[in-house]
Amino acid sequence: MNEKYYVCTGCALLCDDIEIECDGYRISGVNSACRKGVARMKGCQDPLACSISGQKADIDAAIKEAAEILTNADNPLIFGLGNSTIEAQKKAIEVARRVHAYIDDTSSFCQGPVIEAILNGQIRSCTLDEVRHQADVIIYWGADPANSHPRHLSKYSYFPRGKERQRGWEEDRTAIAIDVRHSDTAEICKDHFYQIPPQADRELIDALTSALSGKVPKVSFGMESKKILELASILKKAQFGTIFVGLGLVYSLSDMEPLIKLMDKLNEVSNFHLVPMVGQYNMRGADQPMFNETGYINRVHFDTDPTGADVTRHGPECSAVELLRSGEVDAALVIGSDPMGSLPRSIAEHLLHIPVINIDPCKTQTSRNAAVTIPCALGGVESGGSAIRMDGVQVELPVILKSDRLSDMEIFDRILEVL
Amino acid sequence: MTGAMEIYQLLPKTNCKECGRSTCMAFAAALLSRDAVVDDCPILKEEKYRDNYENLTKIVSPVGNASETGMIVHEELCTGCGNCVVACPVNVAEDPYGAGAGKTPTNDKVILRVEDGIVRISNVEDCRRFGENKILCSGCIVTCPTKAIEFI
Amino acid sequence: MGFGKFLSIPEYDITIVTHRDIFQNTALESSRFAEEYEKLSAVINIDRQDMEKFGITDNDPVVVRNNFGKIIVLAQGSGYEEPHPGVAYMLNSPWSNALVSNETGGSGVPSFKSIKAVISKAKDEPVTTFRP
Repeated sequence: MNEKYYVCTGCALLCDDIEIECDGYRISGVNSACRKGVARMKGCQDPLACSISGQKADIDAAIKEAAEILTNADNPLIFGLGNSTIEAQKKAIEVARRVHAYIDDTSSFCQGPVIEAILNGQIRSCTLDEVRHQADVIIYWGADPANSHPRHLSKYSYFPRGKERQRGWEEDRTAIAIDVRHSDTAEICKDHFYQIPPQADRELIDALTSALSGKVPKVSFGMESKKILELASILKKAQFGTIFVGLGLVYSLSDMEPLIKLMDKLNEVSNFHLVPMVGQYNMRGADQPMFNETGYINRVHFDTDPTGADVTRHGPECSAVELLRSGEVDAALVIGSDPMGSLPRSIAEHLLHIPVINIDPCKTQTSRNAAVTIPCALGGVESGGSAIRMDGVQVELPVILKSDRLSDMEIFDRILEVL
Repeated sequence: MTGAMEIYQLLPKTNCKECGRSTCMAFAAALLSRDAVVDDCPILKEEKYRDNYENLTKIVSPVGNASETGMIVHEELCTGCGNCVVACPVNVAEDPYGAGAGKTPTNDKVILRVEDGIVRISNVEDCRRFGENKILCSGCIVTCPTKAIEFI
Repeated sequence: MGFGKFLSIPEYDITIVTHRDIFQNTALESSRFAEEYEKLSAVINIDRQDMEKFGITDNDPVVVRNNFGKIIVLAQGSGYEEPHPGVAYMLNSPWSNALVSNETGGSGVPSFKSIKAVISKAKDEPVTTFRP
């Protein structure tokens, strides 16, 4: 068959077994990627144009204008980065340092807390390959991979045969879904679907922790103690368990403490791991270089103190959401993200009142009102580099098609040159 | 999955016998097993049944789409997740370290593979539901999150 | 009946839970300004009995609003066998985000997945669009 496999950047599964057919200038066939991955790799119908104040511009002028906006701002914000390569993310940090900007990525309002707890050694994690070879109990909690990460179950977590899981899913693995709605993933988990009311995750976590400690678990919603004990007993018997944490769970917890407690308990009585269901292909990547350089995964301000010396600040007040909410920032560089579409309108609106630089392969709700738009190559298709999968494994992205558009990294490089 | 009752609800329920069946319910069952086609019912072509006619032609895919084993892929429902590719026992046997291990198939002997985001069928004669020693295998049906695979 | 015609259209409290859908995500990758993405996004899935109570049927336009925004989307029955009164589902999109609260308690994380709003039958108002 095909001698060369490519990587799909449709989500943070970074499927690395994709076959591509090209008819010279464009991708004509994509094999083994899911429907969403195929759409991403084939590219969008509305490519972004290079513009300044809505007028067509050449790339040099746009980069100069972008550098000027960043320099002239008192409190610029660099935001997005989940769809950029690690190489581009490192350059973005360099730009942020240079112009004393706030820098934040999409993990700030997604899987950030989970990734942080894993990087700080508070929660035990594992790789997807370990899950494929060893896992016998798999929990999708507040996650619906059938829709968000379509090949999750087939490539890693439920259906494939692995070294210690040779007999197939019916005999070798138990898949459990915990969710507020009967999702497509829950449908596959059949009798192992545990439905809870919205915002009741914390209660079930605490109940499970008690059940694992030999106490009778109680919850205020209609789930019987017997059912919770049943679930706890499956978890207890696991040889290799993994909880895949979706946004449904992350959003319903105000902090990670209950989850950390549950994981600690699980590892007292059993053998458990936790992996965040990261959305954008390199959101986890964005957190890694930042963590390496600053000790924080996101929400950083490269500030100066009254003496003019550099200080690195960190906290929720440095998050894109709080900065836009308070109107603190007076310019923004948005890359590979569409806050005008993906953030609450009531918060993103501030972007309509400040100069925005938007770098993206495609037109977005954010690019419509941007002062400067700079088209970039589609990561993992027109430009290569490296990225970090949802489980922390680094994956190299080969280039599939050459393009005239600059890569994210080259654009940051050019901005740095002008600065 | 579409049932005979669901089809029956969309029929005129006149039991006119024009289709050659004794009742509309019998016609519904015939539609389900693809022994009849929607066009066999003349009343459905009347203007007031237009929506029903269109719905029926959608849910009862013509037999032309079915493979020799009676397998139909509803392409518009398929997400390309590959669950069936990995779960199919023939795929596992023919390609244990490719399809069976969750990866892209590495040979041409597999029955199911995902191309352009949608599952495609080949080598149907090897399907466990086919041939002399056929069994009622449902590996590809029960693993599908959107019920995109059907056997008729 | 009598006073009915003088009263405004009745409104009902609803909690909206947002989620993802691969077909809508695929449409987004192809074009976030195309009709397909709007068709899949500008929809609210409501409990069947609630729909009856609200006096709406499939594909009726409904106004969904709160202090943070207002959208017009099409109502559809949710298709779940288990009833879920008071809870409706929407796909994560600019439409759902128009209703998400700007209150975060300083945490930096908005409440994307649990939105309180009121719903009512729409009167001759077109479905909200985010197309240029």
